[in-house]
Amino acid sequence: MNPQYASLLIALPLFSAFLVPLIKRAGKKVILPYLTLVTLIQTGIAAWAFKEVYTTGKPIIVLAGGFQPPVGINLYIGHFAALFVLIIAVVSFFMTVFSMKAIDVEPIDKYAMLFLLLMLGATGMIATGDIFNLFVFMEITAISAYALTGYNKTGEASEAAMKYIILGGIGSSFFLVGVALLYGSLGTLNLAQIAMLASKMNPTVAQAALALLVFGLAVEAELFPLNAWAPDAYQASPHPVTVMFSAFVVKAGLYAMVRIVYLFKDTPAFMGILNLILILGTLTVVIGELSALRQTNVKRMLAYSSIAQIGLIAVGFGVATPQAVDAAVFHMVNHAIVKALMFLAVGYVAITLGCPCIESFKGLGKKMPLTAFAITVGAISIVGIPLFNIFWSKFRLLLAALQVGKTGIVALILGASLVEAVYYFRLIHAMWFEESKDEKVEENLAFSIIMLLLVALIIVIGVYPEPVWNLVQKAATDLYNVANYIKNVPLLGVSP
Amino acid sequence: MISAYYFGAISLILIGLYAILTKRNLLKILVGLSIMETGVNLLLISVGYVSGRTAPILTEGATPQTAVDPIPQALVLTAIVIGVATTALALTVAINLYEKYKTLDIEKIRGLRG
Amino acid sequence: MVKRALAIIIILITGYWLANALAQVPFGADKMLVGKYYLENVKEQTGAVNAVTAVVVNYRGFDTLGEVTVLFIAATGVAALLWRKKRERTAKSEGSVVLQTGSRLLLPFIMLFGAYIFIHGHLTPGGGFPGGATIATAFLMLYLAFREYEIPHNVFEPLEGLAGMSYVIVGLIGLAIGGYFLFDWIWQTWQLGHANIGRLFSAGFIPIIYTLIGLKVGTELTGIVDNMVKEPKEGGQ
Repeated sequence: MNPQYASLLIALPLFSAFLVPLIKRAGKKVILPYLTLVTLIQTGIAAWAFKEVYTTGKPIIVLAGGFQPPVGINLYIGHFAALFVLIIAVVSFFMTVFSMKAIDVEPIDKYAMLFLLLMLGATGMIATGDIFNLFVFMEITAISAYALTGYNKTGEASEAAMKYIILGGIGSSFFLVGVALLYGSLGTLNLAQIAMLASKMNPTVAQAALALLVFGLAVEAELFPLNAWAPDAYQASPHPVTVMFSAFVVKAGLYAMVRIVYLFKDTPAFMGILNLILILGTLTVVIGELSALRQTNVKRMLAYSSIAQIGLIAVGFGVATPQAVDAAVFHMVNHAIVKALMFLAVGYVAITLGCPCIESFKGLGKKMPLTAFAITVGAISIVGIPLFNIFWSKFRLLLAALQVGKTGIVALILGASLVEAVYYFRLIHAMWFEESKDEKVEENLAFSIIMLLLVALIIVIGVYPEPVWNLVQKAATDLYNVANYIKNVPLLGVSP
Repeated sequence: MISAYYFGAISLILIGLYAILTKRNLLKILVGLSIMETGVNLLLISVGYVSGRTAPILTEGATPQTAVDPIPQALVLTAIVIGVATTALALTVAINLYEKYKTLDIEKIRGLRG
Repeated sequence: MVKRALAIIIILITGYWLANALAQVPFGADKMLVGKYYLENVKEQTGAVNAVTAVVVNYRGFDTLGEVTVLFIAATGVAALLWRKKRERTAKSEGSVVLQTGSRLLLPFIMLFGAYIFIHGHLTPGGGFPGGATIATAFLMLYLAFREYEIPHNVFEPLEGLAGMSYVIVGLIGLAIGGYFLFDWIWQTWQLGHANIGRLFSAGFIPIIYTLIGLKVGTELTGIVDNMVKEPKEGGQ
């Protein structure tokens, strides 16, 4: 098949979103099944692209308009992008199923459109090979996320959305200034060509531009101090949207940041920026974990825990040895699986029992045994108990930090795990060892299947990490090996 | 010494930032955001300017040698539209907030804390 | 006061730092790399004389598709967040006679001017976005002049979706004919209008796409205006 068909990954969600106003005429009941169908097709396309990339070992380069880069915009679906586009599609598919139960606020047709466009934005951010196009996709993601955050129309939701908009606005302005500096000194916007010309750039300008880009993306990537929006938005947005935020929106931001920074690997500006990322990541971990400790709202607690994990991933990328990048990407995949499960389960509890506060979770083991089991597995995994998937990525991260002799990072990871153990075991204790008067609840079959699937995935990766580890190593090499990245993009001979 | 255009653009960005950091009225913060975006757009445009050249519309008289860089102009077009979209959405959220809290003072709107 | 002082310090540091970096990017110097390629090849590759338009629609077509999407999201988001069971216009009084007569008289001309702007996007400054915004002002004027006025929603909403879908379809036809998404099949495969460079019937699919964008932007901005002037009715949630 013509590899250019991978452009359907962008075209399909767009087309389907534009089709919703017409679908609506067939009745409100059709919209969510239609959404499920679209994400299913998207999963199919993503699976095809994934198979294509991993069997041939070559990235798919999509040329928009048939113009060779850097003249035209290209999509670069390499090992990393193929893997994550698939994750995005699968998680979105699960969430459309979840939405059927979780979304009762009108207008559902607008929700469907925003949902599709959020998925589109994250896909585009990961797939694009052009820095300004990255900005456009980032804004698509961000603006649909603003709208979805405020979707419940409560006071909290509006407030969270407002915080997000203000921080996002500052972030996107910074990002654009960074783009202006890059463009002003290199005359190109293509990522591969930027990497090629990076060493010719004035180090002062390069450093400033990178710092601005990092700050701009830190809003999406939820790094301190631009993550003030995240806990509020996680708490106030509809439950399926929270899952999407945690599973892939934040990952897309982090990926974009790392991709851009690594383009400058061989320049003097690189070390300074790595230190910046390390500092931001460490602060994010510390503040995230300490805030999670004193939450009584479980959804908000998970939000802080998610932020802290993102900080750990950022620290991995900040160490920037091949081993650390492998570990960080592995942690990204594992975290996406675990947090999808956790937020799904907690959201399900919240819609059945009315609120995601700790009271709902007392005696959950009796009320909703399967959901409680899923939450328990997720919690144990996050803490980093062996035989569960996150153990392996945390372990690899530890090894990578030891190799470069950064004992501070080792202490950070261990300390974070300890704090996580405290608040997650508190939750587990509440679920299994505390009494509650409520009756047992009939658990929904579709959700049970999704949760069990994710639980199985966690345990399978925990017991046999090798296959996924191999996939992840290829994906990480795609990020780290910039020379290969330049070679893979068929650049037109436009040179100064 | 930096050029007057850069100076103007940076000043606009900083004025916007100042408004965002210090103002208490939500609408003023949003105005600050818009000012910041304007500054960024001006900066992009001035980065693409080439002294003594004309707009990149290649009709009578204008040749590729006498036109400025078209890319920043295309980028700014996109950036403006994105700015409009953000502002529209922000104002909508402000309407919702006002309906719930009957105020636009951010010090008084605090449902979520901790 | 502490907050203010802190803000000023932050701003001064940021400003100094930005100025320092920008001093290394000479103003007014010819720094073009890809830009030069565009200027030299734009007429032959796209048929547009306005290089900015060619960059926007042809070379960086993904950006524009994304840009249209962003505006679509904004319109959708505004409608989603302001959705209430019952909403109505709350203007206290009608517009003056001058405003009412003027808006009625000017409506067709404003729309014509908007259409002119987006159809001539490949020749003159302008294009789908300014053209669409111009059309939206015509409706804004109607809203200001008449207390009871509302746009025909059952025309506008599907039109908005249809215009966006047609844009994607134009891109997909390119994928089918030329093998690339957003490939300009009219100019490059069919070679229509090659003798007409600098006149209206040239530049391949640019006028088509700009017409679609114009319609879409016009309907979307009107929709945003419509949502913002209405307020929830008493008793309706």
